[in-house]
Amino acid sequence: MTLNITNVAVLVVLGLFATGFYGLLAVRNLIKVVVALQILVKGAMVALVAAGNLTGQLQAAQSMALTVIVADTIVAVVALALAVQVRRCIGTLDIKALTSLKR
Amino acid sequence: MAATLLILSIAIPWFGALVVWLAGDARPRLQHGLAVAFSVLAGAVAVALLPFSSSQILLSIPVGGAFGDFTFAADGLGVFLAVVATVVGSLAVIFSVGYMRGEQQLGRYYALVLFFIGAMVGLVLTTNLLLIFFFWEITALCSYALISFYNDDPKAVAGGIKALIITQLGGVGLLLGALMIFSYTGSFDLRDFIAQAGNIPQTALAVMAFGFLAAAAAKSAQFPFQTWLPDAMEAPTPISALIHAATMVNAGVYLLVRFYPAFAEVPGWRTAVMLVGMLSALLTAIMAMVATDLKRALAYSTVSQLGYMVYAVGAGGLFASQFHLMSHSVFKALLFLSAGAVIHGVGTRDMRLMGGLGQKMPFTRAVFVIGALALAGLPILNGFWSKELVLEAGLVGGPLWMWVVMLVGAGLTACYTFRMVWMVFYGQPRAKLHAHEAGAAMKTALAPLAAGTLLTWLLAGPFSKLLESTLPLHALESHSTLHYLEEVALAPATLIAMVVIALGLAAWWQRARLQGLVNALSGVARAAADSFGFEAINRGIVRATQNSAENLRVTQTGLVSWNIFGIMAGLVLVLVILLLGA
Repeated sequence: MTLNITNVAVLVVLGLFATGFYGLLAVRNLIKVVVALQILVKGAMVALVAAGNLTGQLQAAQSMALTVIVADTIVAVVALALAVQVRRCIGTLDIKALTSLKR
Repeated sequence: MAATLLILSIAIPWFGALVVWLAGDARPRLQHGLAVAFSVLAGAVAVALLPFSSSQILLSIPVGGAFGDFTFAADGLGVFLAVVATVVGSLAVIFSVGYMRGEQQLGRYYALVLFFIGAMVGLVLTTNLLLIFFFWEITALCSYALISFYNDDPKAVAGGIKALIITQLGGVGLLLGALMIFSYTGSFDLRDFIAQAGNIPQTALAVMAFGFLAAAAAKSAQFPFQTWLPDAMEAPTPISALIHAATMVNAGVYLLVRFYPAFAEVPGWRTAVMLVGMLSALLTAIMAMVATDLKRALAYSTVSQLGYMVYAVGAGGLFASQFHLMSHSVFKALLFLSAGAVIHGVGTRDMRLMGGLGQKMPFTRAVFVIGALALAGLPILNGFWSKELVLEAGLVGGPLWMWVVMLVGAGLTACYTFRMVWMVFYGQPRAKLHAHEAGAAMKTALAPLAAGTLLTWLLAGPFSKLLESTLPLHALESHSTLHYLEEVALAPATLIAMVVIALGLAAWWQRARLQGLVNALSGVARAAADSFGFEAINRGIVRATQNSAENLRVTQTGLVSWNIFGIMAGLVLVLVILLLGA
């Protein structure tokens, strides 16, 4: 396997995806869940740019990536605000405590 | 211009729904006024759309590759039903001003009614199968929410849920058919499909045809799903008139007519359609004979008359079915609304407690009798001409024995209609009821419908011209009104039908002498009161749905990690499918 830019990108994407998914599956702290989500989205973003490079539409991919950065930041801000509220209302950041809709 | 009108006919009711809802329940007068204004405006726009009807696509909104363009066309079939939905809708809203005075939560009521009217117009004007499904489901949702409007009444809630589940079952058939059509034709436009139907393999076409028949039967409360409609009578009466008599229940018939050119050649489909219509018409006519609740009796007669329309579609009488649909929408809305005036006046729906109300409510009696004469099919009201055309179409396009059964149904219709009129308005009062005549708003809604019942048959010629000129794929032929009148008046079948209807009337007149026969048939009456056992089937469907939903709750753990796991499993599944497909 040659060490060209595409292969590096694929490796980075796989690494970020694995980290993100592992975090989402295993972590129970709400703040860490938000961090894991951010890592996952960064992986998707690298994949987007790499795909744009491959198909020769790098500009389009880069502008998409910028859009994702904006949207992603908003997601992070809202999620953290929710986390603060959860901590205030329930007293814990453990996501296992967040099952009140089920009852 | 035409495209603007088309958009407005959907957008005005929907915008009105939002405005009425935002007006707030603290200002009921404003809510009444806004609802009437928006619904009447929508009616005017839909009528203004009539001259623009053509077979061409009027409006096409590109939404990317996956869904096809969102296309709308104002052909005769669609515009006609849009006019029915908005005009009857505005009359029902005007009636509601009197009927719902002093009720709580008018915002919810009017918002749902207006939301429904817009969705119904969208359903009949779009030619995109996905949009048809989308609007179809909105109408079902509004129907459910309005049946359960009195949501502290367990019967109303149960009726609403039953209607929702049964019509959703049909909606699944529609979605399956639509997706199959997409996979075979590569387009969601129903015109493409109808034009290319001949190229689709016979088996696949048969699956679509019967899927659509199931959807239509569930929506139009046809055999074997006919029991949700009587239970839907817990809704406020203007809702029964609008949704469960004049508009939404016609959607099934509309679907069958719309796709008739594609499915007519499927072996057995037309017979199945006729059979569904015939069984619905006959069974519910018998049930109406023994019903004691005024609104339930009317609901049974609605199913029965829808059965006539479905039967006509199966027999190839598309114009007859649509003409009967027009007559039925008008006279059944009239009957329901005047029944609403009665119920509002006396405070009960039980016909056994009524009687002799005619003296106290002369206006209501007059309009109810006009509607009843049309329902019974007596000349020269609109129900007479359209029912005779349906029977004639059945004689030409269907087997003789079915025609005879439909004739018997017509006789039964006459009999139960007169039983109904008699029990409510004539004879001696059977209970001390304080009746009062309908108010001004109610009369304003009833008078145009009564006039329509007397006159809409004059539109036979222009209506057939409209359908013929804008539905090229349906291969219809149009005639002048005079031709239709002559055709009906001179056909020997009409004479036979009149004799049967007269027999039905005579049977009610001489009911005392027929007591022996009535006693002999008491078994049938008991079975009819028990809805011939089909209630059990429908209840089984509802219970199975609710049980499986309850069991599926296990999958909703409420834990984020499990949801992530589900998403990942889905991702892997999609990747595997893509790998295999490639």
